[in-house]
Amino acid sequence: MLIAIAALVATAAVLPAVARRWGRAAFAVGSVVVLATLGLALVRYTAGYRTESLAWAPVAGLEFTVRLDALALLMTVLVSGIGAVVLAYFTRYASRGEEGIGRDAAVLVLFAGAMLGLVLADDVLSLYLFWELTSICSFLLVGGNGLKGEARRAAKQALLVTILGGLAMLLGLILLGTAAGTFRVSELVASPPGGGVAVAGIVLVLVGVFTKSAQLPFHPWLPAAMVAPTPVSAYLHAAAMVKAGVYLVARLAPAFAERPVWWVPLVVIGLATMVLGGWRALRQHDLKLLLAFGTVSQLGFLLVLLAVGTYTAALAGAALLLAHGLFKSALFLTAGVIDTRAGTRDVRELSGLGRRWPLLAACATLAAASMAGLPPLVGFVAKEAAFKAFTHADPRSALVLVGVLAGSVLTVAYTLRFLIGAFGGRGAEPGEVGRPGVVLTTAVAVPVAASVVLGVAPGVAELLAGDYAGVFGAATYHLELWHGFTPPLLESAIVLAAGYLLYRRTAAATRAGAALPGVLDAQRGYRAAVVGLEALARGVTSRLQTGSLPAYVGIILVTVIGVPAVGLLTGPIEQLSPRAWNSALQLPLTVLALAAAATVPFARRRLTAVLLTGLVGYAIGGVFLVVGAPDLALAQVLVETLTLVVFVFVLRRFPPAFRRVERESPLRHRTRLVVACAGGAFVALLTLVFSSLRERPSEAGAAYVASAKDEAGATNVVNAIIVDFRALDTLGEITVLLVAATGAASLGLAARSARRRALPTADGDRGQREDEEVTA
Amino acid sequence: MSTLVALPVLLPLLAAALSLVAGPIAAVQRVLSVSVLTAIAAVAGALLVAADRGAPVVLRVGGYAPPMGITLVADRLAALLLLVSIVVMLGVLVFAIGQRASDHGPRSASVAFHPMYLVLSAGVSLAYLTGDLFNLFVAFEVMLSASYVLISRRTNAPRVRASMTYVIVSLTSSLLFLTMVAFVYAATGTVNLADLSGRIDALPEGAKAGLALLMVVVFGIKAAVVPLHFWLPDSYPTAPTPVTAVFAGLLTKVGVYAIIRTQTLLFGEHGDWAFLLAVALLTMLVGALGAIAQNDLNRMLSFLLVSHIGYMLFGLALFTVAGLTGVILYVVHHIAVQAALFLVSGLVTRHTGTASLRDMSGVARTHPRVAALFALPALSLAGLPPLSGFVAKVVLLRAGAEVATPMAYVVTAAAVLTSFLTLYAMARVWVSAFWGEPSPPVPDVDPTDEVTVGTGVTSKPMLASAGGVVVAGLAVAALAGPLSTLSERAATDLLDRGPYRAAVLEGSSG
Repeated sequence: MLIAIAALVATAAVLPAVARRWGRAAFAVGSVVVLATLGLALVRYTAGYRTESLAWAPVAGLEFTVRLDALALLMTVLVSGIGAVVLAYFTRYASRGEEGIGRDAAVLVLFAGAMLGLVLADDVLSLYLFWELTSICSFLLVGGNGLKGEARRAAKQALLVTILGGLAMLLGLILLGTAAGTFRVSELVASPPGGGVAVAGIVLVLVGVFTKSAQLPFHPWLPAAMVAPTPVSAYLHAAAMVKAGVYLVARLAPAFAERPVWWVPLVVIGLATMVLGGWRALRQHDLKLLLAFGTVSQLGFLLVLLAVGTYTAALAGAALLLAHGLFKSALFLTAGVIDTRAGTRDVRELSGLGRRWPLLAACATLAAASMAGLPPLVGFVAKEAAFKAFTHADPRSALVLVGVLAGSVLTVAYTLRFLIGAFGGRGAEPGEVGRPGVVLTTAVAVPVAASVVLGVAPGVAELLAGDYAGVFGAATYHLELWHGFTPPLLESAIVLAAGYLLYRRTAAATRAGAALPGVLDAQRGYRAAVVGLEALARGVTSRLQTGSLPAYVGIILVTVIGVPAVGLLTGPIEQLSPRAWNSALQLPLTVLALAAAATVPFARRRLTAVLLTGLVGYAIGGVFLVVGAPDLALAQVLVETLTLVVFVFVLRRFPPAFRRVERESPLRHRTRLVVACAGGAFVALLTLVFSSLRERPSEAGAAYVASAKDEAGATNVVNAIIVDFRALDTLGEITVLLVAATGAASLGLAARSARRRALPTADGDRGQREDEEVTA
Repeated sequence: MSTLVALPVLLPLLAAALSLVAGPIAAVQRVLSVSVLTAIAAVAGALLVAADRGAPVVLRVGGYAPPMGITLVADRLAALLLLVSIVVMLGVLVFAIGQRASDHGPRSASVAFHPMYLVLSAGVSLAYLTGDLFNLFVAFEVMLSASYVLISRRTNAPRVRASMTYVIVSLTSSLLFLTMVAFVYAATGTVNLADLSGRIDALPEGAKAGLALLMVVVFGIKAAVVPLHFWLPDSYPTAPTPVTAVFAGLLTKVGVYAIIRTQTLLFGEHGDWAFLLAVALLTMLVGALGAIAQNDLNRMLSFLLVSHIGYMLFGLALFTVAGLTGVILYVVHHIAVQAALFLVSGLVTRHTGTASLRDMSGVARTHPRVAALFALPALSLAGLPPLSGFVAKVVLLRAGAEVATPMAYVVTAAAVLTSFLTLYAMARVWVSAFWGEPSPPVPDVDPTDEVTVGTGVTSKPMLASAGGVVVAGLAVAALAGPLSTLSERAATDLLDRGPYRAAVLEGSSG
């Protein structure tokens, strides 16, 4: 199956070129390739294909391992089947010659490839890889050409929220994988790790699930993403992106369903999202937003079903996964037809479309019936199984059942709102309403037909769903249209009736509950988080990055003193017993150096400061002489003199006195003094400590003295070291000198030409300067 | 074979001298620089193969055995980093030539640039290859002196001020480095790294720890470790594009390399890794928050550079084979990706005339190729799959999880968070600079300086070389298999100091 993923990626790469040449046909090409991957998956599955692996970076644990089992095939049916339908639909949804066809077609096919990779991956790292790829694809699809501000904001929100979750999931998967000692999903599920690390890992993975599948409190990105073209929304909702989180729960449930850290958050947040999403859907006027909140709600339902880990719940979850993909794609595609052909998707403006487009209306009605859970559609079959899964005596099941029933009532109500809002009314105004066309209507009809077939013959759905649910125990329940007069049937009837009543009273009900969502407005939370993050960043950075060079150097000095000092204190410091001096002459020289250094900061004039610094250098040269290093002393005196001469030349161009630093606080002055003194004292201390550590003279030193004459033919050891033993150092230092000379020359030239440029014109006369530049 | 080790240092120095003489003739300078860097890249490749097949390649300069003479050593780590660095330098060089040609005409020579660039490459090569602490100081000096000239060349007042920050902080770090070398020699009587690695073991605990931390701090200034990083975002963004790109790609990494080399070879396992973990955490988060606070694209990239140095410290502080493998991969990835980002940012500002994110818009519409060139390294820096940053990050995260101490977990989580913050910054760049209605370019504030923006003119060599560096980053991901096994072998060498020591001290006793 690796070839299927590769084929999709390769197709995505060539589609922009196809679109440039043949326009909308690019979608058709994509559709065919996507459909072919479904065919390949079916053939391979029936032929008993299981796994395949491609190494990438084994040291990093990166390899592409794919595995095609019942759950993966079920997801492939959704991903590739609905992908093909959506792409086919796009061929007519997009206008001829519209810009962005190549981009949309390519990214959609890449999206399909990423989803296929995600559901087939059997190692956590490639699962994560494809997971993030879908986030990037959705970013590009939602953002579109980037001209609409709303689209940009929505795309960014979707990206940030899902990638934050994705990264949490990556960390979680790495923790789980490290604890389990394997990064294979199948091995992880077979022998799940335990302990505190596993708990953290599970929680982090669930954060990924909740963001990706638009659960509370992360859900607002999904309705916001409705700015995308409708086929993209259809794919995002029915098969791709949001289904990734659901898939991951289904995949990992066999390992963790027993653990409260797994099922409690999933069931609580799933139910809360189911109810809140349904509630919000009921209050929408925009058909796409209504469906979007409907998806949020249904995703919560799916998570609850797939989390708990009983055979019936898993069977219902898998069946509902299929059912939801089919009816939601059909409904979104319907909304797209209405939007493009009727010019609006606001239920308050739409009227009479049912009469005008009877075929489309019939398809939409069937799809909606599946969503509401009416027989003989697959949605009904799945919902019956779901009710059955929680119709037990224990309190946990009862609580869940109440939530599920409440959510289902809301589902029925918003389904009616959608259907009647879109197609109801008498259609008084003739308006300029186009015709849906064969391709668009067929694209809607295909998933609807599948819903009917799976509803009438639920055994087909059970082939895969049952196979998946089998890991949780023996088959105790079957998907059927008719189970007889059972409690779930009664519950279905109550839900339908209550839903109808709620729909009739929508206005009153929403008015009564208007206060509720204001408190729970998660979109506000997102905005507050973004604003808070930026404020934090600015606060931290403006305090640290002051732009003051003295402050930077001060911090460096403090760190250089502080950090190694801590290290030194970790061990015992040996008793230091340094001799005070070797020769009495050292004393006055040292005093001179110290006094000169201490006076420098108080110098008013630049020349005084330079001379005092020079004095320090000469005094040190004197110390060298006294301790028996005349050549060093000579070098020191020469360098010092040269520096002084250069300084005097340079200082001619400066004002004689230092500029008074205005209003420098005494505190800052004192801080600098302390830092500087501490630096000096610290270096002196370290010199004492380190030079007392060695008892013997250095081997290298001894070798230099011994071999200077024979090896280098030199009577001066220092010369031998510089020009022979360590000649490479000297080469480097000569280079540095040359470079410095070049740099000084280049700076001087630049300054001169800048002056020349600046002279003829007054300050700020930019125009003339630019003219000059052109002629130069 | 061992003579080859000297070439990456000597060739560019020789060429720099020739280049300075050939000054006014642009073509000679260009051919010389490109061919020398190509030759060094080939040499680096040969050294890598040789070091990977057998022992490190060692050259005793002048034939003097350690600890008397200087040795050059190309082990797996040094050769790998040398190869990557030179390849990126070559890409940036072509970009610089293209920029010069399109701004000032094809025959226009910039007398100082080529010699300085070659000296810089010699310094970088020497820093990787030297096996001697004092010689490492010389290498830093060579590298830094060339960088002073490059950053302050053809400049104006604000940029002189910014380069002052750079020069003074660098000089401070050099002074501290020299002081540190003196301490080391005072305590042990040698500056040869292999020789030191035995002698430092014999020092008392406190002195050892003090010396280890002193080295971290001294090299940390160059590596821009928080809180020693302040100079970087204040100075890098003002330099001309190629200079910023090569500084950002290489110079901080040379600092990181020096930390890795000295900590592993000289000190081995010691007790202060928790401290280094804390520094890594701080570096990652402070840098990433700094990036988010910026409106200037180049400043943002500079803060991200600081932030991602934290990843490298993180891997080192774990001090396991897996952690060091991750560091090596991360350094390789980061050299290519960070240089690519600065180059592409240069392309962007040539079209927008400004680096201010608020003032630019719609680049993806007017220049889709530039947008694509930006997107790939940006996503890679954020560690998104399947790019090089992802591979390196996964190795680091796994290494962190395997160490399994509370501090390691915290820093692993911080690494993930930093990844998100990086993406946050990049998403903002994309949304505000690349999406939206195209806006006319803002006029260049100072058209006379070396930083040319808003000309709207890019030449094929510029696009191609920026593309080449982006492809180099992609290649790191594509070759992640062999690269990661190579990095693992290099990491094993680092922890087992034996082979390096043996190659240097015993290698050829004649």
